[in-house]
Amino acid sequence: MNKALKNPLVFTLFVLPALFLFLMFFVYPIFSSIYYSLTSWNGVSDTVKYTGLTNFKKALGDERFWISAKNNGWFIIFSCFVQVPLIVLFSLLIANVKKLKGLYKTAVFMPAIMSTAVIGILWGFIYEPNIGLINKIIGLFGVDPIYWLSDERFAMLSILITNAWQWTGFYIVMVLAAILSIPGELDEAAKIDGATGVQRALRITLPLIMPIISIVIMLSIAGAMKAADIVIVMTKGGPAGSTEVMATYMIKYAITNFKYGYGNAIAVLIFMFTLVVTAFYQLVIARRNERIEY
Amino acid sequence: MKKSLTMLLSLIFVTSALMTGCGGNNNNKTTNAGEATNAPDATNAAATEEPVSSEPFEMTIRHTQVGADKQKRLAILEDVVGKVQGEVPGLTFKLDGVDSDVNRKEKLRGEMAAGNPPEIFDLFGSPDSKIYAKESKLLDLTPILEELGIKDKFSNLDPFTYEGKIYGLPIGGSGEGFFYNKGYYTEKGWKAPTTFAELEQQLADIKADGKVPLAGASKAGWVPLMLANHLWSRYAGPDVTAKFPTGEAKWSDANVVKGFSKYKEWIDKGYFKKGELGFEYAEYTTQFTSGEAILMYDGTWKSSVFKAGQSGEGMIGKVGFFNIPPVEGGVGDQTALMRDVNNGYGFSASVADDERQLAAVKSFIKNLFNEEMQLRGLVEDGVLPAMKIDQAKLNSSITDDLMSEIVAVLNSSQSSFPAFDSLVQADVTTEISNIQIQSLIGGQTTPEKMGAALQKVQEEANAAVE
Repeated sequence: MNKALKNPLVFTLFVLPALFLFLMFFVYPIFSSIYYSLTSWNGVSDTVKYTGLTNFKKALGDERFWISAKNNGWFIIFSCFVQVPLIVLFSLLIANVKKLKGLYKTAVFMPAIMSTAVIGILWGFIYEPNIGLINKIIGLFGVDPIYWLSDERFAMLSILITNAWQWTGFYIVMVLAAILSIPGELDEAAKIDGATGVQRALRITLPLIMPIISIVIMLSIAGAMKAADIVIVMTKGGPAGSTEVMATYMIKYAITNFKYGYGNAIAVLIFMFTLVVTAFYQLVIARRNERIEY
Repeated sequence: MKKSLTMLLSLIFVTSALMTGCGGNNNNKTTNAGEATNAPDATNAAATEEPVSSEPFEMTIRHTQVGADKQKRLAILEDVVGKVQGEVPGLTFKLDGVDSDVNRKEKLRGEMAAGNPPEIFDLFGSPDSKIYAKESKLLDLTPILEELGIKDKFSNLDPFTYEGKIYGLPIGGSGEGFFYNKGYYTEKGWKAPTTFAELEQQLADIKADGKVPLAGASKAGWVPLMLANHLWSRYAGPDVTAKFPTGEAKWSDANVVKGFSKYKEWIDKGYFKKGELGFEYAEYTTQFTSGEAILMYDGTWKSSVFKAGQSGEGMIGKVGFFNIPPVEGGVGDQTALMRDVNNGYGFSASVADDERQLAAVKSFIKNLFNEEMQLRGLVEDGVLPAMKIDQAKLNSSITDDLMSEIVAVLNSSQSSFPAFDSLVQADVTTEISNIQIQSLIGGQTTPEKMGAALQKVQEEANAAVE
């Protein structure tokens, strides 16, 4: 096997299928997007007119686009500062339960296997102003009904909570796997030295699972930048565009308006923003926690 | 060495399998296309007395009859499909049901861009069909309609006409007005309002009675815009919207703003269901059928809900319909009704290259666009005919009270005007549907600011056309 792989021809042949797929489904679409982003193509016509950077100038000068970009930012902030701490907390709790660990794992993972459309409908009921669960509960304390999805002040928050609910379980299972792979001796030694449960969690477990947390943050950022389905299902970007994200902006202002050139420019901008944010995260934060060796 | 050779051979096998897999679709298409194009030649060569091949072939119909409320319309389509398959040897139709909005704004556009739309598809007249027609993506139906002798049988083909040629056919028409709860009205001793003041008094009384005067579900902007559109057309004239793209009228004109103001006034008075910005269109109907809302402004297509086996079955015989009464100081015909014939079927331009597909399309048009099917659509589905039908025949076909009321309203209106989205550019539609009307409902804008914002987008869109 090793001998075969040392032969450049065999090596190339092994690489070719993956390379072909990579070029076809990743490199080609990116370059095609960049090409069309410099045109005023309507998505149907065979003739394509070159317009230079007009589409980019238009997007970057559009207040609505920046509202959308800001909402993507909220997704990132909510993921990193609310969702990730919860993921870690629940992972630590589940890792330390003695009974029914499998049940807990299955229960938290359940939302991740449900389709976004189903989750949107489910949470639509929960947020329903008159009969919804949340308003029923807050009603017990005399609080007036909140119009979660139709009030600009709450709509984005409602989506962020739903999105976090959908994906938290998926990441918990990842973090849990990392916690359970920590050699038991480390925890035992700390216990013998008199460390409390909280101390062991903060000083032993947490530092050892930092690489996986870093990956979770990374995936959350990437997911936040391309969020669209949950927004479409829950609010369609409304009320009045207040929950629009870059991907839904692209659909609404470009694709549905026969402005594919503009749509491609937005797609390129999303790609560039994601690249910058993830590169920044990798260079500044993630690199410090790359590897743990026992 | 032997091991390396085995590895190499396996790799080549896997790679070729992969390549074959990836290229499979195209190869099939080529073969089919080849067969299709060669078929007539081969037949001609073999025997001139048998020009039509009966070799199996498939065509796709993209329809939007999905969901419980559209089952009757789907049944009509299925009957037509059965008839066409019987008439065209070898033909099998594949029915592809997709949500109307998804088909219009995403799927069909993507397919048009890629050059592979279904042979027959649900199509919106304006502006969609004109854009596709301009790019030669649609089949010119003019010669087919002339051959079938039905070219002049349609009430209005303008939304599907581009440079004098017809590129689509409307499946039916619709008018928009108020559906009202007759049971409630009878209980109060009221009748359908004939003046605007009477309507407003009724709205106020319903509100005072603790009921919701008007159903509201504005998650999708087009739903509240039905009523808003009719209001600004009452105040500024039925033809005002058509004048926006030409620059003859402005969204910021005082009379247009009056329409927005009236809508805003009704919002402020709490006439619509609270929290409407979070409700889907389906809930709009539910608010009315459940008796929570007493009035619902909607299209005549909604009458199909008040039939046996449908979601509004419990309200059969208890629903009435009226047009918006004349407003004080309104411009133009105050009986004008908002009517549309903007949705129907279009056909891929590629059909013209295949005789058998062309025959299937002719048969489809013949079997779907005729008096019988139009009347079936009216009776079973509540869709107004898109074709001209003898009034006596029309009257004798109508058996339920609601439809009779609708037809009476249509007949009593002196003129009609199409909905704004078939008149203004897509950018303007996006702005008013997604931002402005919801901002007005949510209280983030004023009627004046709304008019100014829309005019700005309108001017940009007009300049882009020039």
